[in-house]
Amino acid sequence: MLKVIFWRLIAFAFTLLVASAILFVTINVVPGSAAKAALGIDATPQALARFNAQNGLDQPLIIQYTAWLGQVLQGDFGHSFQNSVAVGPEVLRRIPVTLELAVLAFIVANLIAIPLGTLAAMRHQRGLDRGVTGFATILGAVPNFWLATLLVMVFTLKWRLLPASGFTPFSEDPIMNLKQMIMPALSLGIISSALLIRIMRASMIEVLSADYVRTAYAKGASEKIAVLRHSMRNALTPYVNVAAVEFGFLFGSVVIIEDIFLLPGIGSFVLVGIINRDYPVLLAAALTITVVVLIVNLIVDLLVSMLDPRSTAKH
Amino acid sequence: MTLDINWRRWRLVAFGGFIVSAILFVAIFANVVAPYSPYDLDVANMLAPPSGAHLLGTDELGRDVLSRVIYAARISMMVAVLASMVGLIFGTIIGSVAAYFGGWVDMVLMRFMEVLFSFPAILLAVVLMAALGTSVVNSMIAIGIIFIPGFARLARAAAIDVLRKQYVESARAVGMSNTRILVREILPNIFAPLLVEAAVAFSYAVLLESALSFLGLGAQPPEPSWGNMLNVGRGFMANAAWLSLAPGMAIFLTVLGFNTLGDGLRDAFDPHLRD
Repeated sequence: MLKVIFWRLIAFAFTLLVASAILFVTINVVPGSAAKAALGIDATPQALARFNAQNGLDQPLIIQYTAWLGQVLQGDFGHSFQNSVAVGPEVLRRIPVTLELAVLAFIVANLIAIPLGTLAAMRHQRGLDRGVTGFATILGAVPNFWLATLLVMVFTLKWRLLPASGFTPFSEDPIMNLKQMIMPALSLGIISSALLIRIMRASMIEVLSADYVRTAYAKGASEKIAVLRHSMRNALTPYVNVAAVEFGFLFGSVVIIEDIFLLPGIGSFVLVGIINRDYPVLLAAALTITVVVLIVNLIVDLLVSMLDPRSTAKH
Repeated sequence: MTLDINWRRWRLVAFGGFIVSAILFVAIFANVVAPYSPYDLDVANMLAPPSGAHLLGTDELGRDVLSRVIYAARISMMVAVLASMVGLIFGTIIGSVAAYFGGWVDMVLMRFMEVLFSFPAILLAVVLMAALGTSVVNSMIAIGIIFIPGFARLARAAAIDVLRKQYVESARAVGMSNTRILVREILPNIFAPLLVEAAVAFSYAVLLESALSFLGLGAQPPEPSWGNMLNVGRGFMANAAWLSLAPGMAIFLTVLGFNTLGDGLRDAFDPHLRD
């Protein structure tokens, strides 16, 4: 087991290194644009050259990358080109907002997927099953940013129940915080449930046809007992693997939803970096999201190996 | 039972195929189908609700929403097809080269693909657009790059299967060059699963393109795209809901069409995958 953990950690470190290099090279591949964005289009060539020299942007990419990586490993994400504010503390301030959004969306997705997937499996190939499968297919085709728009139309403009956008920290006003988070969480969670419904259904269908469940029925167990006591746990094991990966995916897809609802999370920080061509901001935000997604995947991987030794047999 | 399964499979392909063909038809013949030019301003008719003259109403500059939705289908289809082609071509080359040569070539290529695959798609798309600059062509390239690892994995798996076949052994035995074996023997035999995957990639490309345009990173106004129309519509939700409903519905129907077509085709190729 320790050997498996060791190799997974090595693979994780390698992936992270290559991912950071890809992000760095992609963002810095266009020379000069950061200086123009920071100093304006009227900046003189001398001013642009001075800016590039000050920020090390005139160095070869490999030198820029190693210098940046060295700083990042010490927890220093550099300073914003636009306002010279340190980027690291700003990232730390924004992570809880995105984390709250992702967790709430994840709860929404599971609250929809587990019961619906189970019900569909219990009525396999009957009307209810087809209805649920059709519903999942429809959800899978709705863009989350359109659903967000529709939710605002209904809950804010028509019924005036929820605020259209904004963010209040949970510690300041929990009720307001939840009111502001409901629509963003629903937009992400409902769409995310489309995949999870299918996984839960497939997983439950498999378990319900297993011999031990048939035995339970033969011994007179009611459907409720057969499903809840004998099947749910086993059906949830493969489901949890996919669901956990989906959590990482949710964390990664917050960019648009945070923009729509004006949430000051890490996703909207990516857009701030892009709009201002503020490379330190963009790099820090994109790297943070990638790291979180990779860590979630690593944890899932390790948990799966611990829960099901067969998955690591090939190693 | 068999008849029932065949019928259901066929029904999915037919349903998806019908929507996809209708949208492709509208996109190709946009200049014939659209009642107005998508750029014609009509200041006397700004934000007019749906009516006989403007079936889906007009936008904040008096432009016909239906015509703009129809012309936007062109951009979506173009991006979807070309981005999927970029992913398909480069993914197939990388995957089949990795499978054919094996060893360190396989390891290096596929590890790199795995790293690309580990990025959240929308994040990678946004970062690539920041580097490439905002335009329709660049969104095509960015989305295409995102698709490469998926196609590469599939191509590699399919190519490893083909490599075990006797005809590849025979080609090696008669002294065919590596390139010739790859192009003549392997590529034609791994194309079927890749084409099915392409149908699913189309729908994802439509979603990603509209997301990028929605964020202002894809097609730029006044060029109509479903994403940028939705973004503009957000500002008029209270008094002109049709500006948000029409392009959203167009994205939804297109993605639904490609998804069901892809699901149906996948069932047709591999009935074991149905559940």
